[in-house]
Parts: sequence; structure tokens; C-alpha cells
Amino acid sequence: MESVVAGVVIAVIKILVILGIVLGVGAYLTWVERKVAAHIQRRPGPMVVGWHGLLQPIADGLKLITKEDLFPRYGNKFLYNLAIVLALVPATLVFAVVPFGPEFELFGYRIKPILTDVNVALLLVFGLGSLAVYAIAIAGWASNSKYPLIGSMRKAGIIISYEVAITFAVMGPLILAGTLSTYEIVQRQIEQNLWYIWVQPIAFVVFLFSLLAETGRVPFDIQEAEAELVTGFTVEYGGMKFGLFPLVEWYVEVLSLSAIAVVLFFGGWSPINIPFMGFVDPLFFLGPFSPYVWFLLKVTVLFLFILWLHWTLPRYRIDQITEIAWKVMLPLALINIVLTAIIAPVVWR
Amino acid sequence: MVRLIVFLMFSAWAIISGVGVITFTNPIYVILWLLSALIAVAGIFFTAGAELVGALQLLIYAVAIAVFYVFVLTAVPWEKAVKKGSHYRMEGVLSLPLVILLYVEMAIVFFLGITASPEGKLRAFIERLGNTEVVGSILFTKYFFAFEVVSLVLLIGMIGAVLIGRKESQTYEDDTR
Repeated sequence: MESVVAGVVIAVIKILVILGIVLGVGAYLTWVERKVAAHIQRRPGPMVVGWHGLLQPIADGLKLITKEDLFPRYGNKFLYNLAIVLALVPATLVFAVVPFGPEFELFGYRIKPILTDVNVALLLVFGLGSLAVYAIAIAGWASNSKYPLIGSMRKAGIIISYEVAITFAVMGPLILAGTLSTYEIVQRQIEQNLWYIWVQPIAFVVFLFSLLAETGRVPFDIQEAEAELVTGFTVEYGGMKFGLFPLVEWYVEVLSLSAIAVVLFFGGWSPINIPFMGFVDPLFFLGPFSPYVWFLLKVTVLFLFILWLHWTLPRYRIDQITEIAWKVMLPLALINIVLTAIIAPVVWR
Repeated sequence: MVRLIVFLMFSAWAIISGVGVITFTNPIYVILWLLSALIAVAGIFFTAGAELVGALQLLIYAVAIAVFYVFVLTAVPWEKAVKKGSHYRMEGVLSLPLVILLYVEMAIVFFLGITASPEGKLRAFIERLGNTEVVGSILFTKYFFAFEVVSLVLLIGMIGAVLIGRKESQTYEDDTR
């Protein structure tokens, strides 16, 4: 009985920590994004509210919350609000299977810094990730307006195409690790002295394309396409309800998929890897905190890379996007699976 | 004990969602109830310890299949979606005997299946290998032939879909490039 209580308490603490980090960081990433975008375009970005605009997200949040709540006359109010919940919940649930660091012992309890170490974690990631389609499709339909509907149909098409590509892309690392659990995948990479990026570069490229497409980042932000659709499926949303969609899509989903990419390709919390030789840890002086710092560092670098792409590239057309998915990414991922399936047993068994 | 409570929660959720599917008239609500029922069934699989089946239920049924219903329904205009006259009440009553027959068949298959299933034989296997590995090894040994036949059927379906799609694209003038 005592172990059940302890398990529940530990789980609740983990949930609170993860939610706090994800939503808090998510809100502040708006500031990071605006700063990075500004400096890429050689302007200072937000400078007025607080030191270098540090209080800008709070000001924006206050403004969004206090705005009048407008609603389209012939829309469906229930579905209109439900879409927001459907967008937020699956995106945050993905963090349940993200391992933040190695197992440690505290007050006699062994704790893994991962909410649920299930054996099918990766399948859950993709299942939950593609549940986002419902939020967007329903948001578009409930708004009873043409731009949102077009935007949501585009997004649904993109997600369906790229969900296939991303699922096949992760097969390569899965074959190498021989497990679906995210925690175990990192452990295997540490045991094998190998970040899977060194042997799975094709899978990583396909994963990155799918990440950008599923989160609606440039060059795949065709569902928002300010120039043609205003902002796509969020046209009829106002105030904080409008703010939540980009928050979920651009920050929470990008963060979760970046974390999964780090787990799959960059060895999770392990330090810098020299292929087949070992690990070099320039941050050894941090002691037990070094794995967490490494994990955060890798996710941050990947996030900044995605921002860099976002504010540099132009946008694809919708037919080009689906063509890339089915004619380039899917065959590449399949070739990668076949090659890995042939080579991996030779090397490791 | 905890598992029983969770199971009861998920099954109540699934039954309520099932009732919702057949009582609501707005097709979008029906799809949402169906989605809710599918997620509840995935939850039941998880409580039963069949993690792989639960995750596949979520991935294939709740996302891949139900999305296409949403895809079609979002193209339905508002006024038609809430119209009530389109329900076939008479046909519903007429099809009731067939529905009951199907349910009886399902029950018979279920009870026959219980007596025929290898009771406890797989448990040691699952504990040693884990869920995913067991399903994989059974698929590629005992049910290999059926597995391959199913994949052939899917391949034929895919070729058919490509053919239909190509025919349609030829009727438009291609001036996009």
C-alpha cells in the first residue's frame, strides 16, 4: 500500500514539473522566437517592455486575455471551444514519454525522470501527435467560414501524408535499438557508444521534414499562409483562444518532437559522442546534473535550428508539400529501413 | 483493485460513447463520440496489459481511420449537417433482426474462442519477451500465410486507389507547371 501511495505522489510531482516546464517555457519561447527572428532580419525585436523586452510575453498574455471574445454568428460554439482542448491535450500528453535523464535514487526510491516508461512509447508519440488533426479540422469546421475550412483541410492533408513518412523514418533507429521504449532507446545508444544520427542521417532528414510539416513551421506553414488565407484555421478565433493555437503548434509540439528527435538520434541525455569510441563530457564539473543540461542543450539547439529555418526560407505550395511527402520522403525512409535491416544484424549480432 | 476500477471507468466511458454515437443526429458529434469510444477501448487494452494493441488502436483506429470520416464531414455544409430528415427510421427497424443475428454470432464466436484459446500458454512467453516481440514473432511464424495474404490485399487496394486517382487527374488540363 505504501508503495502505491509513493508511486502516486511521485507521478503527481512529475506531472506538475513537466506541465510547469512545458507551459511556462512554451509561453516564453514566444519571446525567444521574436528575438531570434528579429536578429535574423537585422532589427532589434521587442525592446520596450522590460530589459530587452523580457516582460513582453506577460504583456501579450494580459492583452490576449482581456480581449473581447468574438464568435462567428453561425458557428458551433461547443465544437469551437472543444477544438482548443483537443489541440492542447494531446500535444502536452506527448511529454509523458519523454525521458529527461538517467534513473536516480532519492530518499530510497528509484526514480526515472520520465512520466510513463511504457513499452510502446514511440507509437504513443505518433498516435497523440496525429490527434492534432481533429483539433484543426474541427476548428476549421466550427468556425463556419471559408478560410479556416481551407486551412484545416490543407493541414489535415499534410499531417496524414507526413505521419506516414515520420513513422517509417523512426523505424531505422528502432531496428538498431530493438525496443519501442524511449528510455531504453537512449540506454542502448549509451551501451553501443553510438548516437544513431551517425548511422541514420537519412532517417533524421526525413524526421526533420516531417517535424516541420506536422508543426506547421515554414516551409510547410501552408495551413496558415498569411498571404492567401490570412491565418488559416485560426481566423475566427480571438484573444487567448487565438493565442493557444500557435502556442501549441509552434512551441509545445516543436519542443516535444525535438525532444523525441534528441532521444532517437542524439542519444538523449548522453554527452558528446565519438562514434563507436565513447563519450566526451566537457560539462563533467556539473556532476549529477550534467545529463539534464545535455538534454536541454540538445533540445535547445534543435529548436533554434528550426527557428532559423522558419525565418529564412520561403513557403512551399500545397501540391509540392504532398509530393515531397509521398514521392521523396516515403521512398527514402523505406530505402533506409531496408538498408538498416540488412546492415544492423551484421554489425551487432 | 486499482486495475478493476480503471477498467470499469474505461468501459463505462466506452459504453456511454457508443450510446452517443447512435443517439446524436449531427454527424460531427457522432464522429467525436466514435473517437471517444475508440480512445476508451484503447484505454481498456492498456489496463489489460496489451500495450501494443492499445497503441495501435490509438494510432490506426482513432487517428488514421476516423480522420477520413472527419475529412469527408468537414466538407459537408452546416445546414445539411444539422438536418434531421435524412435518417432512415423505417430501414433501421427493418434491419433489427440482422443486427440481433450478428450479435448472436459474435457471442457464439466469443464463447467458442474462450474454450479454444491456449489458456496461459502465452503468458510465460510474454513475460520473457515483452508485448511487441510476442505479436511480431506470432505474426511471422504461426500466422505468416494469413499475414502475407492480407498485405497482398492491401497492395491491390493501393494499386486500385492509384489507378482511380490517375484517371481523375487526366480529365483536368495540367497547367500548373
